[in-house]
Amino acid sequence: MAFNFNWSPLTADAEFYSRARDLLTKALNKSPKPPIIVDDILVSEFNLGTVPPDLEILEIGDLAEDRFRGIFKMTYSGDAYLTLKTRVQANPLNTYLFSKPEFTSPQPLAAASGLTIPLSITLSDIKLSAFIILVFSKQKGLTLVFRNDPLESLKVSSTFDSIQFVRDYLQRTIEQQLRNLMMDELPAIIHRLSLQLWCPDQANKGVETPKEETDEEGVNPLSSPPLDPVDANGNVLDPSAISEISLNGGGETQSLFSQKNLLRLAALTDSHRTLSLFTPGIRDVVFRAWSGCADRADVATPTVSSPNRVRTNSHAGVTGTTYTFSDTGSTLHGSISSRPSFASVNASTGLGVGSNVRSRPGRKKKNRVVNLRKTKSEAVTPDNQSEAGTLTPASVNIPLSEPLFDNSIPEEDELQDDPFTGDHFHPQTLMNDMGENSLTLEELTSALKDLKMLADATANSRKATPEKGSPRETPSAKAQSSPDLLDQDWVMKMASEIARRVYDEKRSQQRGKWDESEDAPPPAYEASPQSPLSR
Amino acid sequence: MREFMDYVHSAFYEATGWRRDNSYAALNATTDALLNFSTPRGLRLTLSALASPNFATSYQLGSVGVVDGSISYLFSSVPLRVLLTPQSENVPLPDLLRSYRPLTPVARRDDPSLRRPDDTDKTNESLLYGRLYLPRSQLEALLVRRLSPAFQAQFSAVSGQHLRNGGTALGLLQYDVGRYALEGLASTDGGLLGFRGVYNFGGDLSSKKHTQQSTTSPAENGSGNGDKERIYGRFSTGGEIYYGTLNKSGGISIGARFATLPDHKGTPLSATLTLNPLMGNIAANYAVMAGKDCSLATRMEFNIFSYESSWAVGMELWRKPFARSRSFNAKLEWRLDEPEKPTEKKMAHKKVDKEEAENDEKEYAGVVKARLDQNLRLGVLWEGRVKSLLFSLGSGIDLKMMNKPFRTLGLEVQFSS
Repeated sequence: MAFNFNWSPLTADAEFYSRARDLLTKALNKSPKPPIIVDDILVSEFNLGTVPPDLEILEIGDLAEDRFRGIFKMTYSGDAYLTLKTRVQANPLNTYLFSKPEFTSPQPLAAASGLTIPLSITLSDIKLSAFIILVFSKQKGLTLVFRNDPLESLKVSSTFDSIQFVRDYLQRTIEQQLRNLMMDELPAIIHRLSLQLWCPDQANKGVETPKEETDEEGVNPLSSPPLDPVDANGNVLDPSAISEISLNGGGETQSLFSQKNLLRLAALTDSHRTLSLFTPGIRDVVFRAWSGCADRADVATPTVSSPNRVRTNSHAGVTGTTYTFSDTGSTLHGSISSRPSFASVNASTGLGVGSNVRSRPGRKKKNRVVNLRKTKSEAVTPDNQSEAGTLTPASVNIPLSEPLFDNSIPEEDELQDDPFTGDHFHPQTLMNDMGENSLTLEELTSALKDLKMLADATANSRKATPEKGSPRETPSAKAQSSPDLLDQDWVMKMASEIARRVYDEKRSQQRGKWDESEDAPPPAYEASPQSPLSR
Repeated sequence: MREFMDYVHSAFYEATGWRRDNSYAALNATTDALLNFSTPRGLRLTLSALASPNFATSYQLGSVGVVDGSISYLFSSVPLRVLLTPQSENVPLPDLLRSYRPLTPVARRDDPSLRRPDDTDKTNESLLYGRLYLPRSQLEALLVRRLSPAFQAQFSAVSGQHLRNGGTALGLLQYDVGRYALEGLASTDGGLLGFRGVYNFGGDLSSKKHTQQSTTSPAENGSGNGDKERIYGRFSTGGEIYYGTLNKSGGISIGARFATLPDHKGTPLSATLTLNPLMGNIAANYAVMAGKDCSLATRMEFNIFSYESSWAVGMELWRKPFARSRSFNAKLEWRLDEPEKPTEKKMAHKKVDKEEAENDEKEYAGVVKARLDQNLRLGVLWEGRVKSLLFSLGSGIDLKMMNKPFRTLGLEVQFSS
């Protein structure tokens, strides 16, 4: 199979550059500018160059005449350039007085008189390297999301190149701005352009980017240490100690979390086990849902994590290339399916629901999974599947207002001797896992953010209720919102895929060889069959 | 419109014998008032009172889309009632609204022999002022303290949540001996330190003779010499320098002004030239009182580095009330009011002189101010009095956007007692 990407016809369109310039100018002037910039930022020159980016297809999730989904790896080191023009205020006292209360102003007579200098900045030698998630459908246009920070390097040349300090400052500031542009603005711009191109009737519909989603993104506690870090004894940690801990990612990680959150988590687990009506609201948490209970024995141990188990969780993803994860787990939950939070949790965990929705009768969908990677040699046991499906971390945006019920009581009885049996959500183990996978998680949360944007962008014309992922509850509603669901499910699936992929990459770097990891089954797999619950 | 509290504030300076305009920062005060006056936005009501000779309050309610307001209190250790007409019914409008202000004689603290008899320095007096903006919860505070005849300290602070670090404070130390005045300031915002000074010469400061003449009788000056056209004014020159210790930035400027003294018989004028050598900015301001009811001002700016230039013109026009209605008696008798008898006036000329001037000022009904700059932005302001209410109606107009020219529109109403 081959794809033919035409780079030059894109630029041959006479209006393309003027339109792109307009869009870029609008995007650059949208956010409030610092007082040092006294004029609009104008994109005066923009050229995509002649060298196309290199695209490597990693996976194609869906392929038909009218739609396409896939993940690419893109590297670009071409001759595209961009020139911006604006005017800056050169008098520092003038910008100092800006937005200061007049009451305490020193009221200089003429020392604050302005000197505006025209400034032109040229960005060239742009080097990009990114994982791209591309979704195209005739109805919804093209959506493109960067999985990671795409910008590798960039050359900034400006009017003030002779002044070292100014040059460095501009280089730094512009790189930062460009990263924001790539991650936030560019997907929206491309989406809008594609709508104009393929479905002009939808172009003027609401294509506003879901900004509010990005604002309330989950904070990864490991990428940004807490404000009041204490160690196990309650002593305040200094920043160096924090970085050391988060780098080591060892068993001490949980001490980074504030006592308050731990208490909340404890209350949550208590409410799982009891009939307590009180459930504490925990915002922005990384949540793991179990629909099977294969790993119960592992999780049940309350002690500080052993490396084995941590690896179990991560390796589980390796096997799960083909997800045939059935809906058995969720049908067992029929009694609690009226709980919206559970349903959406399950939906965002993703795989089971996704396959369920896709295979529903009524609308026939072409769904081909093209797996471009090596198939796994190991037999995929149901245990591993469920593990792969359920252990994939996914950050869930909704508050955990409802506990997850145990789905089978006999299992509960079997493990009665352990007091922590019922805990689906054990803080310590969760945090240990997070410590081990801190980088993965960090990347994953950003990926999820992007994917959420994508999902919202495709479904923005509809009213998105927070609990739209409860398909089992109302079949009619499911039929209505199925395209959204499909997209969201796919998005969530992609998120878990990416998490796996990132981990793969990391591991292959660590261990040198790609295949090595697959030859030797991780110790976790030996551990999980020992679980008395293996089906 | 000039705020009531500012009016009270200047009355405090008058009472303590401090010359507010003998400062480098006030070098451009006249042209600034003519060219940079603020036009009101939205509807604003102010209710003010000098509750006791030492205590003033002011409440403000405004609406620019959302309703906001402020409460302010002022305490002065000097009784102010003598120097201030708080009633908006009786306050002379030129006192409150006139932009072109003639120079005030400096207080010669360096040479007691040259002091004017009405110069009274009250030391150890202080003024406290606080203002709370309500929905925003922004608090302003000001403390002025006269330390010695030549020293005065000012401390002002603003606290607000939207500000960086929660607020800023500015300390200002002023030293004024008449011939020269120095100021040092420090601000918490960026650790800004500043120093500025002004030096006066010429005119009333040039010789003892002039000073004595002017103290004896202002009316006789000039006319005694017979040279009416000879320009009689004061030169002031100075400079300022600022340095932000935290952000490592600074600013510098020098300036000079020539302004005629009130005793000058010709047209009162004020000309200022400022230069910012770091930024290459030259600004020339010129204000003239073209007639008794009209003042004009221009400003030209030029930047020798960027060749950017700008200009602005402004004017102020005082308006007498429309045709005075006849008195009730006159109407009954089917005749016009009798004109005032000039003979009487001549008889008591010297005595009534001052009162007459006040009456003259009182008969103004309002003032129209306008300004225009190089971006064709026009500012128009009409201030006056209706019954006992002072009003100020203004608008900012952008002549470049003719389809939607009114940028701002506002009305301020003020009542004080």
